[in-house]
Amino acid sequence: MTPVLLFLYFLLLSLLSVGGVNTVIPEMQRIVVETEGWISAAEFTQLFALSQAAPGPNVLITSLIGWKVAGLAGALIALGGFCLPAGALAYWVGGVWERFRHAPWRIRIQRALVPVTIGLVFAGGYVLATPDGIDWRNALIAALSATVICTTRLNPLWILSGGAIAGYLAYA
Amino acid sequence: MSEPAQPPRSLGELFLGFLWIGARAFGGVLPWAHRTLVEERRWMTQADFAEMIALCQFLPGPNVANLSIVLGRRWFGLTGAIVGFLGLLALPFAWVLGLAILYADWAAHPGVRAVVSGVGVAAAGLFIGTGIKLARPIARKPVAILIIAGCFVAAGLLRVPLAIVLPAAALLALLAAYRDAL
Repeated sequence: MTPVLLFLYFLLLSLLSVGGVNTVIPEMQRIVVETEGWISAAEFTQLFALSQAAPGPNVLITSLIGWKVAGLAGALIALGGFCLPAGALAYWVGGVWERFRHAPWRIRIQRALVPVTIGLVFAGGYVLATPDGIDWRNALIAALSATVICTTRLNPLWILSGGAIAGYLAYA
Repeated sequence: MSEPAQPPRSLGELFLGFLWIGARAFGGVLPWAHRTLVEERRWMTQADFAEMIALCQFLPGPNVANLSIVLGRRWFGLTGAIVGFLGLLALPFAWVLGLAILYADWAAHPGVRAVVSGVGVAAAGLFIGTGIKLARPIARKPVAILIIAGCFVAAGLLRVPLAIVLPAAALLALLAAYRDAL
């Protein structure tokens, strides 16, 4: 039953992912950690870290969760489930985009979704940074990382490398 | 100097182009998609690229995967959409599973786990920093702040299902947008 459930959950997540993958991170964590208990909150943050250490779109977090839950088949099921509905929609809209790309209602929808996306991205950051509740070391690493990305033009990969060193110093 | 854009001539070319994007795209795909599609292979113009990104950010789902589908379709129909998508994801998929398998062997090692957790928390910080950057242009609008805070509290702290948070927040935001409050 688990692979079927996995597929259905990621189908739903796909359609809720307005603004991209990052906005559904809190919901993904809620489902796989809190509702189903497939992995722990700490594991979720670690899988997210691995997905950041690979090239390619951040959608790969879905395949890592799938892999953890049901092996290679799970990886394909989760990634496929997440890409299928949104992909089909993109395929269809790609053909009719010209007709409504300047329509006022479309521009209003896009503008309306901006604050929603931002709030959900903050929620994702909070959920990823607090796998064991609020911990001052994690709070410090996250705050430093947020400050650097806000105030410099440093490549995010350097910030993640800094996180690796900070994590080693804080916990090992 | 600026020659007109020349779309890929074959499915093989399309596949390799997106494979090349996926292979190099460390730390975000969008800059690499731009470099490959607009600057190196010149399959599309800058303005066209910007337009397609706007479309893909409007749609739900992974933005760049949507881009591969929309462009694949434009050039080669359904087959093109599938080929572009598979090209983009093939190498990153193999890479990330390889990493996960490697990590599974080492996850019990406290040093390794500490390093990976540190990266995860730093990535969380990137989320927060990116959110702040995106919020700056709308920070003077009270309705925007209210919606941002509401989504954060509901989804992050109270863990309300997104199937409830999203429609409620989107409806509120849409009403505000129609009253020009956003």
